[in-house]
Amino acid sequence: MSFLQAILDGLMLGGVYAVISIGLTLVFGVVSIVNFAQAEFLMLGMYVAYFVWRYLGLDPILGSLISFAAVFVLGFFVQQFLIRRVLKAPEVAQIFLTVGILICLENLALIFFGSEYRSVQTSYQNEALEFLGLIISMPYLIAFIASGIAGGFIWWVLTKTWWGRAVRATAQNPMAAKLMGINTDQMYRIAFGLGVGLTAFGGAIILPYLTVSPSVGGQFGVLMFTVVVLGGLGNVLGAVVGGIAVGVIQSLSGLFLPIQLQNIALFIIFIATLAFRPEGLLRKSL
Amino acid sequence: MNTQPIQKYCPLALFILLCSIPWLLTDQGYAIRVLTLLLLFAAMAQSWNIVGGLANQISLGHAAFFGIGAYASTILLIRFNLSPWLGILVAMILAGLTGGLLSLPTMKLRGHYFALATLAFGEVMRAIANTWSSVTGGPVGISVPFSPNAGLGMMQFKSTIPYYFMMLAALTITTFIFWKISHSKLGYELRAVKANVDSAEVIGIDTTRTKIIASVISAALMGACGVLYAQFNFFFDPDSAFSLVGISIRVALICIIGGIGTVFGPLIGACFLLPLEEIFNAFLSGKGAGYSQLAYGVILIGIILLEPRGLTTLFKQAVQRIKA
Repeated sequence: MSFLQAILDGLMLGGVYAVISIGLTLVFGVVSIVNFAQAEFLMLGMYVAYFVWRYLGLDPILGSLISFAAVFVLGFFVQQFLIRRVLKAPEVAQIFLTVGILICLENLALIFFGSEYRSVQTSYQNEALEFLGLIISMPYLIAFIASGIAGGFIWWVLTKTWWGRAVRATAQNPMAAKLMGINTDQMYRIAFGLGVGLTAFGGAIILPYLTVSPSVGGQFGVLMFTVVVLGGLGNVLGAVVGGIAVGVIQSLSGLFLPIQLQNIALFIIFIATLAFRPEGLLRKSL
Repeated sequence: MNTQPIQKYCPLALFILLCSIPWLLTDQGYAIRVLTLLLLFAAMAQSWNIVGGLANQISLGHAAFFGIGAYASTILLIRFNLSPWLGILVAMILAGLTGGLLSLPTMKLRGHYFALATLAFGEVMRAIANTWSSVTGGPVGISVPFSPNAGLGMMQFKSTIPYYFMMLAALTITTFIFWKISHSKLGYELRAVKANVDSAEVIGIDTTRTKIIASVISAALMGACGVLYAQFNFFFDPDSAFSLVGISIRVALICIIGGIGTVFGPLIGACFLLPLEEIFNAFLSGKGAGYSQLAYGVILIGIILLEPRGLTTLFKQAVQRIKA
């Protein structure tokens, strides 16, 4: 039974991992930059939701929309003023620019918000559903459902709207997209904003069961990249599959590994995927 | 090699200058400590340069080898009273082995993928050091015991000056190895790999083997630097010895500032970055946590946006502009 329970827990976790990782994979797929600072945008999303909860009394699940919007705008300008300038630069420059952004965001958070761990209180915090002897904790279930809605929304935007098609066209062939009258620079800004915004949204919806501190990004960095590499960098559908897989693996490894060593399990998967199947588990991409 | 005399004697003059500095300073002052660390970080950056500069593989996980070295020799010293001079050998073997094993799956990776994999490896090593308390002492850190018979034999000194010369020796050795490699068959192979992996393979270079050799040497030298740091600082914990920003990114940044893949890049970069950090620390440390690291991030972004090929390139461009 604990095995089934672990799989169920893993699914709940995996849904959220999928959403935060779609953000990362979207940034890579469209802007073709590996954003080492992605997890710091998750941290910002958590802080926005925290302060919205504290000063406006809004539940983090609703606050997540504000997190998304705020970080979308931030991402829009980060793309405009920083990322855009290294798109044609050597990889070293790209890597270290986003690493620099990582250091800056983490320490800005430390300066403005302090190093203490903060958490929210919600009415459903300690509630759980029981189903055939399996237990689903309420905050996890709500986060899972919110992830599903967000994933569906992004899917709809990317496939059914003009903006989504323009973003995808830019990802496939920027030159051709430009010739079709698409403002590709604008699409890069939107895609980067959308990507980090989505990750921030994911940060907000997990706030009811986690605590936030300036260094929380470190917990998610390796995890997010494992998800994205499993699914294939730039592959949105892959991120969903990867997210669920990582959630389940993490939850199962929790049965016999101490929590700090679960990262090692992730790392081994990460390296193995990179070494043996760098294109990811799926071949088809969006 | 047809080098001009001035280029030939430049390194010698520099070496003599570096040797004579300690006589100008008090032996336990602040300045000599900063200079000692500067030389150590230049040596670490030079070790990184072998993989990062010659093979163009941007490692963000060199703290792993540094930490392995520091922990290996210190644990041997505490448990078996083994002299750090023997510890340094063990450290180099362990770090080199780890580097070799890591490079088996990662050396085929290019660019971002390699950077990601090494970054993840460094973070995992930090997690292990924090968790495996029975060996490493865990998050509280580990202290190098003061030996009653301190001296050369135990690599412990009361004055800073012997440390200064130790770090100078480390920098000289790593620089010599870097220079030797870059002028050897391996160096030309690495540069071929850097220029174009596929054509390097076509002309018969075993690119993976070449990269693995380079990363073993690089990791072993980094491990040795970890031992020197442990002996000099007397205390470290998993978060400082395996630090992503403090070690891995810092050594890479030093090379970037000074010029990746150049012989004097690491020293130039360290001469720029470490004093700058000291200035920031002096001004910002009173303001609370985060300010000096923030300044660090801003410098990093600024340099990347200004000239990702480093200060030397910037300097050369400026000289050309003045000439023209």
